[in-house]
Amino acid sequence: MSLPTQGNSNYMLAISGSSLVWVALVIAVCLFSYLIYKRMLLLRRAQPDPRFSMPGRRLLGLLVYGVIQKRQPRYLWAGIAHIIIFWGFVVLSLRSLELIFLGLHLDFLDPLLGNRFGWFYSLLKDIFELLVLAACIFSMLRRAIGRLPRYKGSHQFEAYLVLGLISFLMITDIVFEASGLLWKHASFYWHPAAQLGAAFLSDVGKEDLNVIYQASYWLHILTLLTFLNLLPLSKHFHIITAIPNVFFRKLDKGSIKPARWGVESFDDLESVGVQRLEDFTWKHILDFYTCTECGRCTDNCPANAVGRPLSPKLLTLKLRDHAYEQYPIFEFKMATGKEKKEKKGETIAGGLISSEEIWSCTTCGACEEECPVFIEYIDKIVDMRRYLVENAKNPSTFNQVFMHFEKTGNPFGKPPSKRSEWIKDVEEIDVKVLKQGDSVETLYFVDSYGSYDPRMQAIACAIVRGLHQAGISFGILGPMEKDSGHQVRRMGEEGLFQLLMEENVEALGTVQFSNIITTDPHAFNTLKKDYPGDLNVSHYVPFFLDLVTSGKLRPRKKVKERIYTYHDPCYLGRHNDIYEAPRQLLKALPGMRFVEMERNRDRSFCCGGADVILWHELEHEEIRMAEKRVRMALDAGASCIVTACPFCLIHIEDAIKTAGLEESIEVIDLMELLLTTL
Amino acid sequence: MGEIMVLAEHRQGEVRDITFEMLFKARELCQQNSHSLTAVLMTDGQGSYADQLKSWANEVVVFKDDRLGNFNADFYNVILAALIEERKPFIVLMGHTPWGMDLAPALSVKTGYPLVTDCVDVLVEDGKPKVIRQIYSGKIYSKVSFKESDVYLVTVRPSSFTPEVAEPFSGEIVEHDLPADLPTPRRVFKEFVDTAAGEVDISQAPFLISVGRGIGEQENIEQVKELAEKMGAVLSCSRPVVDKNWLPKYHQVGTSGKSVKPKIYLALGISGAFQHVAGIAGAGTVIAINKDKKAPIFRVADYGVVDDLFKVVAALKEKIES
Amino acid sequence: MNIVVCLKRVPLTQEVDLQVNSDKKDIVKDGLAFVVNDWDNYAIEEAVQLKEKLGGEVTAVTVGYEDDEEVLRRALAMGADKAIRIDPGERELDAFVISKILSSVIRDLRYDLVLTGVQADDTNEAMVGVMVAENLGIAHAAVVNGIEVDGNELTIKVELEGGIDEVSTITLPAVLTIQTGINEPRYVSIMGIRKAGKKELKVMTIDELGLSQDYLLPQTVIEELFLPPETEGAEILEGDPGTIAEEIIRIIKDKGVSI
Repeated sequence: MSLPTQGNSNYMLAISGSSLVWVALVIAVCLFSYLIYKRMLLLRRAQPDPRFSMPGRRLLGLLVYGVIQKRQPRYLWAGIAHIIIFWGFVVLSLRSLELIFLGLHLDFLDPLLGNRFGWFYSLLKDIFELLVLAACIFSMLRRAIGRLPRYKGSHQFEAYLVLGLISFLMITDIVFEASGLLWKHASFYWHPAAQLGAAFLSDVGKEDLNVIYQASYWLHILTLLTFLNLLPLSKHFHIITAIPNVFFRKLDKGSIKPARWGVESFDDLESVGVQRLEDFTWKHILDFYTCTECGRCTDNCPANAVGRPLSPKLLTLKLRDHAYEQYPIFEFKMATGKEKKEKKGETIAGGLISSEEIWSCTTCGACEEECPVFIEYIDKIVDMRRYLVENAKNPSTFNQVFMHFEKTGNPFGKPPSKRSEWIKDVEEIDVKVLKQGDSVETLYFVDSYGSYDPRMQAIACAIVRGLHQAGISFGILGPMEKDSGHQVRRMGEEGLFQLLMEENVEALGTVQFSNIITTDPHAFNTLKKDYPGDLNVSHYVPFFLDLVTSGKLRPRKKVKERIYTYHDPCYLGRHNDIYEAPRQLLKALPGMRFVEMERNRDRSFCCGGADVILWHELEHEEIRMAEKRVRMALDAGASCIVTACPFCLIHIEDAIKTAGLEESIEVIDLMELLLTTL
Repeated sequence: MGEIMVLAEHRQGEVRDITFEMLFKARELCQQNSHSLTAVLMTDGQGSYADQLKSWANEVVVFKDDRLGNFNADFYNVILAALIEERKPFIVLMGHTPWGMDLAPALSVKTGYPLVTDCVDVLVEDGKPKVIRQIYSGKIYSKVSFKESDVYLVTVRPSSFTPEVAEPFSGEIVEHDLPADLPTPRRVFKEFVDTAAGEVDISQAPFLISVGRGIGEQENIEQVKELAEKMGAVLSCSRPVVDKNWLPKYHQVGTSGKSVKPKIYLALGISGAFQHVAGIAGAGTVIAINKDKKAPIFRVADYGVVDDLFKVVAALKEKIES
Repeated sequence: MNIVVCLKRVPLTQEVDLQVNSDKKDIVKDGLAFVVNDWDNYAIEEAVQLKEKLGGEVTAVTVGYEDDEEVLRRALAMGADKAIRIDPGERELDAFVISKILSSVIRDLRYDLVLTGVQADDTNEAMVGVMVAENLGIAHAAVVNGIEVDGNELTIKVELEGGIDEVSTITLPAVLTIQTGINEPRYVSIMGIRKAGKKELKVMTIDELGLSQDYLLPQTVIEELFLPPETEGAEILEGDPGTIAEEIIRIIKDKGVSI
């Protein structure tokens, strides 16, 4: 067959059948558009979600997490492989365009690629093709041999298929290039990959080279266009949706979304919480589409680690599959799993997703911290809990607790008049209980457990002693204070949370203060993120670090001789990125010997939490989260765990006792430890 | 000379203890105020109730009819109201039992005479009865008197009085005609069901370890079960634990559960509501553990520990094992 | 089946140390929180469950002031259809008076069954329910812990002592006083209660009902309230859990029980 030469593209051979390329391209693009349109249908029916604020910050996030893939290397080898493949895609996208134009006999790119840049690009492209190929093979082997637990429930076949297709794309392009260059007797100088490929084609005759050239072109293009259309049907949809998903990520982590965005009053809401798919917000639906099935969330989920029925990944996948079933494209779909669920509009909370799964979550945020594509979980879990509570499907042990919160402002049902009785225990200090019109520098928000629970009262006393020693003018709200509501909100009783919040806001409005400090990271988080207005609130750790660095407090005495380690509380650490302040504070204590646990900072392991666990036992738990954490501390060589959250303290203290490890390790609150040095 | 009437309560062949408790107290009141003591009995003729009662009162008034085999408020109300109208007794005592609760308020409305229920003591002051009762689940006591009346109705809490050995009456048994207008009963007895029958009979155990609301959650009962096993004790509980379905009914101690007479009763996290306490009236030594130093159980226990029950349970386990 | 449920709002006192007023006729109620009477809560739940099974309407009724409407709204949120509050004005209330007020209102309603709790958390008298029945001239049973419906006849279980239940049939219309544990009362959220604000809540006064002062004379008089007598009580064991455990074991062995 003779080869017609193109006038302009004198470095590439011509592709026969350009009209077919047009046809293929048009079909592919139309199909793709249709698929995207179908996928968008659910998004349009879903609830509103304001995600356009702070576009600059969002773009930066896209750069850091999307382009630079900052979260990927948290799992090192998988991360490197993915970064290579991702970067390969970016770099090779120009090549794909080039090939398509070649087939269409268009020459738009010739000026760009026809000179020095073109040679440089060829080199880059070839290097990447080899890297990507290597990464794909590595990934396939790793998946096959590694048997990693986080892939359980993921569509393995799909993974191999896509890795295979990508490898195939690389190979076909290399062969295409190699055969073309061989035919022309052109130089392989800028084409190292093609040179490798050429090694396999050394004995092929000219005519056959042409066949190979044409065939590999068509295979490549068809594979590419098919791959494009496979995306919306598989877990690789994330290739497209990850970009918006990362752009639209939640910026104020630790906060909880309102019952419905854009609706001020509950009276305007027909129902609350998530019952059906359309009750999720569009961003949440986008989350379902974007799941890559990597399993990093589940791998770090403390509930999953102790045997509870929750697996964040499976939660997302179940909902994604449900979405694909409710809004099918055709009957044949790739990513629906083995069973087909017939019922349309099945109830999600308590149905598709079981109650036990929903109550298993401790809202620790480990899943959200790991997810490379910024899928959110906590808001969804809370929305499902809202539905359960509104429909009386919560564990009955919550009923009395909610009633106590409502009637007495604390979960114990103890009278509000006794909320500040604990100050008797600090006899040497006259703790000011604020009345309307009073003014202090620092308002100490004690919250319910600090006020009424004997163990936590001890921490409150320590804080008060510290404040007094530093000469800070401070006061507490006393009976005016109601529970901050952090538990109530995260357990799904939104109306009750609003009630508590309103009462606290009113109380805060009657007194004057420059800043608020809290005993508990949960209270700090909720006052900062869930309460209106911009409260100048801080957890006690950064506040006391300031006092120490400014010299108002001088840790003089040595700490008890132990090997200390620090357990990052979820609501101080992950949800508020406060990791270094407690460590600096610890290092400032004389005689401090410190070791770091393997799981530290944003990889800290939840102790059990401050809500559901207090009032509901989950049936399937094999071991307590706190006990696992204690053993992690022992593994690090520690003999004393330091915490900065009263709930972490009681859970860990409890675990040490029940595991019989009192001889080996103890636990202390950071404030109590600090006080011993003053 | 007036009359104090005591309504006898009986079930499945036995006159219930409350009857004798009331008769004993009424005897005291009669002696103090020169009244005569009358027991009122409704029966179908089966059983020897009248004989059981005659040594306890001056007179036993018996209403005998086939329809009176089992308690029925419809009948009792009409019969008793007629009797009261006829004899105008000073005080009528009834038990504050489920049957008494079904009858007494209706009787009060029908006759128009005042009623105070669930009394733990009855006295006569200035010729009128006054009663002591509890409110707010035993946290507060109340002294109550009646509006002026010819007849005063009182229901008495079981186990408020303890009959002592006394000179028996030689009571006269008198059969009384029934009123002519006995209604067709709107309620018809079918059967008794023993819900507390179960694998274990706690009423026979010599050593009981009992859990109450203070146990917190169902899962926590496990540790106590283990302790009970180690100590050779039987597990029992108070009502809230059964209401929540954490333990089967046959574990329940109290008025609506079982009465127990163990040598040792170890109460964990039990507040001591009187319904529960009534069930352990016959216990030998009661040891109570409760975080709340004001818990009513400490009033009736022999030994008390004001502490976290889980700590003590853990310590007990450890000591037993060593 | 149309059901009327009588509710009462009472102080929440479980965790509170109660004090007696200076006039000794009432407790100090400042600072106390108020909730629906626990027994009545079971009654409402039972009524709503019966309605869900058999259809009909549930009406919640209470004798009280504006603050007491809260228990009615909760009942409406749980599933009651209508609510009535009867304002007693200045009248002195006791069980006798309350039952007369309730009966005069219920008499004019369409009902098959009246449910109320066995007793109230505060006065613990267990009188109002059965008094209402006698006032209305209908059947009654106290301390009911199970209800099965068969047309116009109910099969009920009454909880007697010692774990014995008495099974009987009762013909409607009837008043049943409900024992705790008969069911699991559902939770109603704050939002649920707010939404129930749309349902009907009627307020009536005693004068409207034409009930004279004489008709509503209390039967009893509270002479004096007092705190429980300080009995000797238990010998308190002191020390750390280890010491206490040893002491307990010693006591047990002492009493002749082998461990």
